[in-house]
Amino acid sequence: MSYKSLLIPALLSGTMLSPAFAADVPADANLAADQTFTYRVMDEFSSFDPQVVEGVVGAEVVRDLFEGLYNQDADGNNVPGVALSHEVSEDNMTYTFTLRDDAKWSDGKPVTAGDFVYAWQRAVEPELASPYAWYMELMSIDNASAIIAGEKPITDLGVSAPDDHTLVVQLSQPLPYFDKMVSHATTFPAPKWAIEEHGSEWTRPENMVSNGAYMLTEHVLKERSVRERNPMYWDTDKTVIDKVVTLNIGDEAQGLTRYRAGEVDKTEIPAGQYPTLKEEFPDEAYALPRLCNYYFTFNVKNGPEAFKDARVRQALSYAVDRSVITDAVLQGGQFPAFTFTPGATADFEVPEVEYSTMTQAERDAKAKELLAEAGYGPDGEKLAFNYLYNTSESHQQVAIVASQMWKQKLGVDVTLENQEWKVFLETRGNQNFDMARGAWCGDYNEASTFLDLLTSPSGYNDGKYSNEKVDALMTEAKSSQDTTPLYAEVEKILADEMPVVPVYHYSTNIMLDSSVQGWPIHNVEQNWYSKDLYKVAE
Amino acid sequence: MLNYTLRRLFTVVPTLLVLIVFSFYLMRLAPGGPFTSEKPLPPSVMANVLERYGMDEPLHVQLWTYIKNIVFHFDFGPSFSQKDRTVNDVIAQGFPVTLTYGFWSAVFVLACGIPLGIIAALRHNSFWDYSMTGLAIFSQIFPNFVLAPIMVLLFTLSWGLLPGGGWNGGQWEYIIMPAVALGTSYMAGVARLTRGSFLEVMNSPFIRTARAKGLPERTIIIRHALKPALLPTLTYMGPVFVYMITGSVFIDVFFSTGGIGQDFIDGAYSRDYSMLLGLAILYSVLTFTLNLLLDLAYAWIDPKVRSKL
Repeated sequence: MSYKSLLIPALLSGTMLSPAFAADVPADANLAADQTFTYRVMDEFSSFDPQVVEGVVGAEVVRDLFEGLYNQDADGNNVPGVALSHEVSEDNMTYTFTLRDDAKWSDGKPVTAGDFVYAWQRAVEPELASPYAWYMELMSIDNASAIIAGEKPITDLGVSAPDDHTLVVQLSQPLPYFDKMVSHATTFPAPKWAIEEHGSEWTRPENMVSNGAYMLTEHVLKERSVRERNPMYWDTDKTVIDKVVTLNIGDEAQGLTRYRAGEVDKTEIPAGQYPTLKEEFPDEAYALPRLCNYYFTFNVKNGPEAFKDARVRQALSYAVDRSVITDAVLQGGQFPAFTFTPGATADFEVPEVEYSTMTQAERDAKAKELLAEAGYGPDGEKLAFNYLYNTSESHQQVAIVASQMWKQKLGVDVTLENQEWKVFLETRGNQNFDMARGAWCGDYNEASTFLDLLTSPSGYNDGKYSNEKVDALMTEAKSSQDTTPLYAEVEKILADEMPVVPVYHYSTNIMLDSSVQGWPIHNVEQNWYSKDLYKVAE
Repeated sequence: MLNYTLRRLFTVVPTLLVLIVFSFYLMRLAPGGPFTSEKPLPPSVMANVLERYGMDEPLHVQLWTYIKNIVFHFDFGPSFSQKDRTVNDVIAQGFPVTLTYGFWSAVFVLACGIPLGIIAALRHNSFWDYSMTGLAIFSQIFPNFVLAPIMVLLFTLSWGLLPGGGWNGGQWEYIIMPAVALGTSYMAGVARLTRGSFLEVMNSPFIRTARAKGLPERTIIIRHALKPALLPTLTYMGPVFVYMITGSVFIDVFFSTGGIGQDFIDGAYSRDYSMLLGLAILYSVLTFTLNLLLDLAYAWIDPKVRSKL
């Protein structure tokens, strides 16, 4: 098989220059004597096992404890982790990673390609039943689906280790953004010997063996976890933060109080408080763009008959004044959305969809026109529907504002209905709604993580929108080297057919103590690593 | 009394069985399940997950397995939301926390409530009495979810005396606010109850007799009046203590103590069936045990009750 070297530029520069993989501390920085970083987490971690962990906060800890093939830098680009570089075969189906030879586990054993093979096989193993097994399918690793379904043995997974420092991955279809997916926790290596010795208790601090910059030294359920520097980590000399403590604080307001009391260095800002906190703490309150969208989804399968008419869907979308929702209601630095994919997504150029270029007055006029054309509104049939959202103050505010806009501008009657989270998910998943709230956070930094959701086979397509052209374009994008025009076309179709109303793209509002430096504020996935941080004396 | 105790113990087993069966089916009536999520699992992954947790079996088989595991292995099953942990683990870590500050809260309630009640009764209709009654009413109208944030505002933010939450291995400065916030309204209740019953006892014939015998006032209060005057307080404290160590959900969440109240809330939201069922069983056993102990203590104090057992 012939290979062509396809080292991505970021990697090349990363390996050839003396890179700042760890904390990038300026020479004149006055480092604090106590390098302990303490932050608030809302929920207990689902697990510390990289192949089992779910959720954002769990992944944050696992990223510190384990290191995968690549890490991300402050801008979200890949930088070497255990892997130094990779090559891609001509057919884009085989990836060969070269691993560094100085990576070690916390017990001193070398990190080998075999540890990755074991971990990836583990992720799809039916007995472990990883809730993230689907991620391996999403990565298109050969035979992943068949193994998950119990049809093939795990040894058939398309991953192998010809030697200790070479990892070969065989894909079932070309995936141009495959390398962007290997900084995800599910792909981190796992220590076979520790897992076999301790079973499911291998993640306890006393049993755990890990290869990241930190080791788990304490874990009190629902109260705190402590991780301390791993002396075996290959780049430990450049790591500055010695100790990272998470405190479980369920109540957001209490998190802020404890931030004010100096007990935590980082906490989330409760909804609606960003403007006042930004004024009070201009250097500590941040609104960071995030790879998530917020939308209203039309049930086009068994919702109201009117929703089957694209003109009605467009009219309802046009009538929503997004800037009122972002600037007057939420006030947290969110971005008005006219496309499904957030503009911050890597390699995604926001296409100029027609309604995004209009003024709100023009959109309102067009909305009335479209609704009238479809036979609804003041001179036609009365339009009325239910809007379903999960119980939360901010969702309620958005729902009230949007329903008032529809009422005043289009004379549409909307009944608001809220449900507890899991009840809501079940109702929405069973298509027992007219219009429902939706939100999606990208699993990786590429537009397909959003746009795949609106394809016919997607299990997350709650409105059951189906368009053959969209499906075909998304399939083509999987193997295309230039996805920009394809994604632009999909977004244009979505703007014309409006199966969902994009409302806004998220931002994360956090308080971060001014002594903490090195936070990757430009990384839209907010994938941060404690090893890249440092604290300065105040 | 032994017979009585044994009789009560025998009723526990069928009661618990009914409770388990009822709770088991009731929980499953709630829409959604432990693995329902914003990003629904693909069917093949879901099938593996359900199989791992034995949830692919019919409900009655799951129930039978659950009961068998408790009886033969004292195993309350895996937690669905904390995937590296069993329910036994979670309770073993959270319950001592709740029990600790619940205990100190009860100590605070009794140590402050009883003396306050006695002083008010002894200084009946005086400044002390009115102050105590005023304080008691004031404390009682402040539920813990109002008191706790005020305490944090004062002791943490303004004066920097105590940490705003956490547990840190149960150091005393972490226990004070949860214990006081939890106990204040009960302390007021105990003070008022003690005052009332103390007044009643001090006016009863046997105290008059004691005074007529020329006993010193201190002996009358401590040796003769205290025991009967505390009976209503004891009756009141039994259920209150059960509530303190089982129902302190707000305190656990607000002060982030890591106690089991937090597990109860999280279990309900995440449909962690085994966690909820484990906690329901724990709460039932606690309620039963404490009620039995209370009845026995009551019999020990009051001969009239003892003769009826």
